Amino acid sequence: MLVLELEKVETDFCPNCKGIWLDKGELELFLEDSKDKDELIKSFSSAKGIREKKIKCPICNSKMDKIFVGKDHDIVLDECKYGHGLWFDKGEILEVIKLGSVNKNNKIIQLFQDMYKNEININTTEEK
Amino acid sequence: MWEIIRLNKRKSFLLFIAMGIILLLLGYFVGATFLGEDGGPFGVFIALIIWSVLSIISYFSGHKILLSISGAKEVTPDVHPQLFNVVEEMTIAANLPKMPKIYIINEEAPNAFATGRNPENSAVAVTAGMLAQMNRDELQGVIAHEISHIVNRDVLFMTFAGIMLGSIVIISEIFLKGMWFGGSSLNRYRDRSSGGGGGQIIIMVVSLILAILAPILAQLLYFAISRKREYLADANGARLTRYPEGLASALEKLSQNSYELRSANKATAGMYIVNPLKEKGRKLSDLTSTHPPISERIRILRNMAGAGFNDYQKAYAKVKNKNETVIPPSELKKETYIPILSEIEKATSHGKKEQQRKLGDIVMKTNGYSFLTCDCGLKLKAPADFNGKEVSCPRCGKRLKFE
Repeated sequence: MLVLELEKVETDFCPNCKGIWLDKGELELFLEDSKDKDELIKSFSSAKGIREKKIKCPICNSKMDKIFVGKDHDIVLDECKYGHGLWFDKGEILEVIKLGSVNKNNKIIQLFQDMYKNEININTTEEK
Repeated sequence: MWEIIRLNKRKSFLLFIAMGIILLLLGYFVGATFLGEDGGPFGVFIALIIWSVLSIISYFSGHKILLSISGAKEVTPDVHPQLFNVVEEMTIAANLPKMPKIYIINEEAPNAFATGRNPENSAVAVTAGMLAQMNRDELQGVIAHEISHIVNRDVLFMTFAGIMLGSIVIISEIFLKGMWFGGSSLNRYRDRSSGGGGGQIIIMVVSLILAILAPILAQLLYFAISRKREYLADANGARLTRYPEGLASALEKLSQNSYELRSANKATAGMYIVNPLKEKGRKLSDLTSTHPPISERIRILRNMAGAGFNDYQKAYAKVKNKNETVIPPSELKKETYIPILSEIEKATSHGKKEQQRKLGDIVMKTNGYSFLTCDCGLKLKAPADFNGKEVSCPRCGKRLKFE
């Protein structure tokens, strides 16, 4: 895991799988100003039955829980049982931010998109 | 604070008196039309009775009536702990003697109002839509605005003004309907018995005009009272929370709302934080609106340099482009600068984060992490097992090698 720092904001990034780790509370920080932030965070629900490979929390090394995000269970994330943070597989964080209908002028969102500019570009060209 | 309440009271009192005069004039002429020239005083008497009966009822149970017609239900803390928490906080900030009762209205349209005859017997009601859409800062802004209405004694006053408006409307309606159906025959009878009809006709014409104009005039006065109070409550709300942006963004959300509040009507519209009635097909003119335009309220709040009355007054003058006083000068002089909360908060919390980050760097370094700054400015910190490996910078895509 790499720690990336840009303009005094830090995020964790895995260069092999392109996943991103957010420490507890960092997601809330990203979604600040977002209209549906509270709703989105409330919409987190357990996704126990889902068949997706379990991964380990980078902080405590215990297996993480799968959780659904969004009313329609749009995205599946990994959350540490002990509340250390959230794991976003490749590209998932952008989907979550889209769900939260975030103000695009939000400084942190802009910074975030700047920080992962190259990754995002690769992602979007792949989709096309 | 007291100066504001007093000025608020004085100005509103004048408007109130003007409404009272309309009520009495209307009573006099309606009485004179129906009962001849000596019927005037009797008409005044009847008008006063209607008004005082309605006032007494509204003083003692007006808030209950209002709450029940708006479909509000009293709730316990476990229904919405955050709402209770915010109300409690604002009660303390505003120095209210007792926490207002909390009601929730089961409607999607976001809105809120405060009611109660004095700060000891008050209540705030918010709709479920409000709770669903607002974050904590915004909710706090809304509650602070409502609590300000309670502190400024707006609630009782607006109730009385509303009742007076109601009385005027009732009397005019009775008169106009009476004229339509039976009034003319009554007059014919009286005319014959008294002999002359010239004066009577003039009186009749005057009361007809009054009956038509009085409700409109009274409504305009009512709206004028109501608008002034909204500005004051905004100013005080910003001061209580020390965060004008909270209320500003709440108002913004409220203005974008597309639901209509079903339980609101013309008489209760003035109580809400934003006008609950949607106008179909026609834009409300400033004169006939119970609330100042939301966009203007938002602009004033966003133009505030600090969180105090002085800042609100300055922002008000700037946005409205005229030197009107919303807040009495004596109050402005007394006040020392109150900074906006976010400034302090940002300063402290940012400092804290900065410290933590530096601490983190030290811990990483002692654990063998290698630090690398890409040409694009992105800093990468990698644990020891990255040594000798190559990665591409997630920001600019450049290949980087950790030594």
